[in-house]
Amino acid sequence: MAERPEDLNLPNAVITRIIKEALPDGVNVSKEARRAISQAASVFVLYATSCANNFAMKAKRKTLNATDVMSAMEEMEFERFLQPLRESLEAYKKGQKGKKEASEQKRKDAKEKKNDVEENDKSREEEEEEEERMEEDQEAENEVEEEEVEN
Amino acid sequence: MAESVAVSVAPLAPTESDPERCEGEEEVRGNEAEENNQQTGPVAGAPQNRLAKLPLSRIKALMKADPDVSLASQESVFIIAKATELFVEMIAKDALVYAQQGKRKTLQRKDLDNAIEAIDEFAFLEGTLDA
Repeated sequence: MAERPEDLNLPNAVITRIIKEALPDGVNVSKEARRAISQAASVFVLYATSCANNFAMKAKRKTLNATDVMSAMEEMEFERFLQPLRESLEAYKKGQKGKKEASEQKRKDAKEKKNDVEENDKSREEEEEEEERMEEDQEAENEVEEEEVEN
Repeated sequence: MAESVAVSVAPLAPTESDPERCEGEEEVRGNEAEENNQQTGPVAGAPQNRLAKLPLSRIKALMKADPDVSLASQESVFIIAKATELFVEMIAKDALVYAQQGKRKTLQRKDLDNAIEAIDEFAFLEGTLDA
């Protein structure tokens, strides 16, 4: 999919919800204002990414990490974001860890159960699906995403 | 979507309840017309801090549009998603001030423009939005 940056908008429904939750009741937002905010948000992502990437490159790293993003926020003069972002990151990391352990446990359980199943066809299906999921989960476990950007 | 159903025969319950939100690995499903992406809707009982409201896959797609960016950690995608949410809140509130000055209860495009012009942190937006 060759998408231009301008084409990549964030979902309107989500943007609208964030706006509504930020503003007091009784305040409305025109369609044009919403569209502009959505666009601004996309520009923000691009700008923050570029800024963060500079920090990664300075540190001779190919992978952009959370610290780079934090540094970018400071650079962009959004220091007010730093504390809430740190808290969110902690919660996120805990959530990811829990999921990893849960998925590993489920895989163990599934494997044991599979051995009991008599129908071979069913086992094979489950195995395929399980392997697919294992791949997904393995990817999720890796913090580094091994994907090359094609340009 | 978030249920882990323990069935005796086939425990095929997905471990990731919101792949869009948590992984950032998924390709963007469908096209941009899919605005009401139900997969990124509120998950019952999920604490707001943990999950981002914006789909990580879309955020990641935007990040990858930068030719200088090769790899990005999952955490970095998540943090940028969260930061973008904070940004949206901030700009909406700042624009509201101008609407209120104009004694209006409806936020309009010109309120956004005024906020962008007046507030230093929004300087990067100048000239970037469609007229």
